[in-house]
Amino acid sequence: MAAILSAGIGAFAVGFVVILNEAGLFTAPALYGPAGGVSGRTTIAAAIWLVAWLILHIRWKSRHVEPRPVNLTTVVLILGGILLTFPPVWSLFG
Amino acid sequence: MRAESSDAFWRDDHLRVHSWTVPAPKDDMELFTGQSILTMVHGIVLGGGALMTLFASLCAVQILSSSSEPVVLPVKSTRLLQWLLVATAVLLWLAVIGGTYLVFPPYRATPPEGITDLSQYPRSLITSNPQTAWLHSFGMEIKEHVPWIAAILGTAVASIGFRHGSELLVNRDVKRMVTVMLAIAFLLVAVVALLGVFINKVAPVD
Repeated sequence: MAAILSAGIGAFAVGFVVILNEAGLFTAPALYGPAGGVSGRTTIAAAIWLVAWLILHIRWKSRHVEPRPVNLTTVVLILGGILLTFPPVWSLFG
Repeated sequence: MRAESSDAFWRDDHLRVHSWTVPAPKDDMELFTGQSILTMVHGIVLGGGALMTLFASLCAVQILSSSSEPVVLPVKSTRLLQWLLVATAVLLWLAVIGGTYLVFPPYRATPPEGITDLSQYPRSLITSNPQTAWLHSFGMEIKEHVPWIAAILGTAVASIGFRHGSELLVNRDVKRMVTVMLAIAFLLVAVVALLGVFINKVAPVD
């Protein structure tokens, strides 16, 4: 369950970082110059994903978690994240 | 030796036929540059491999759990499924990281001031033509971020496969979620692969 929900959080983080960048609220630094800002944005999103996974794993490893709310939340987060990476969507925030 | 008029006939554009009087291609013509080979590895080997393993994973999860009776897989079959899921995740990450750090930089290279031949600067070449500009503003912008989502989903599925083994085929909720994530990842990779084909067709990374 931790892997599932954290994947949703990670997917949403990708889109969210893109929106923040396009809205001018947060510009991720380019970790690798030739690749530009995408190197920073994706690294930050991946870090959010991994941290969420670690936290959820620690909190949930010895307890039963109802799968259906987690699955539904994950699907919503994934679809939301994909949508936010869509140029027509993030250009609304630009 | 052919007469002048015969040479003209053979070089006629309508016929598109070459005679031995037309200069032969240079012997040192390079078929592929190092960068174009990298691009092909990224798209065909890694991206294509990821597409295949994603599809195989989807099929495996569905077929192996299609029985109405609880599934008890032999250990070997469970291991194969687990390694298939891991291979999927590995290919996805190699494609994503290779694409971001090896293929994308030459694509987005900025041409020097005053240059007119943009063939070595794919992004500038694409955006200079209104008919192809969407390939960057829509296509490449999607390709920058969406594959990372696919890689994250693939990793989650691989992790579930390794932790739960064939139990993922028995637990209906887990199996459903694994199927959904694999299907989404497959669709995402298919779309970005197609966009990559379009972009490389118009402005190849050489």
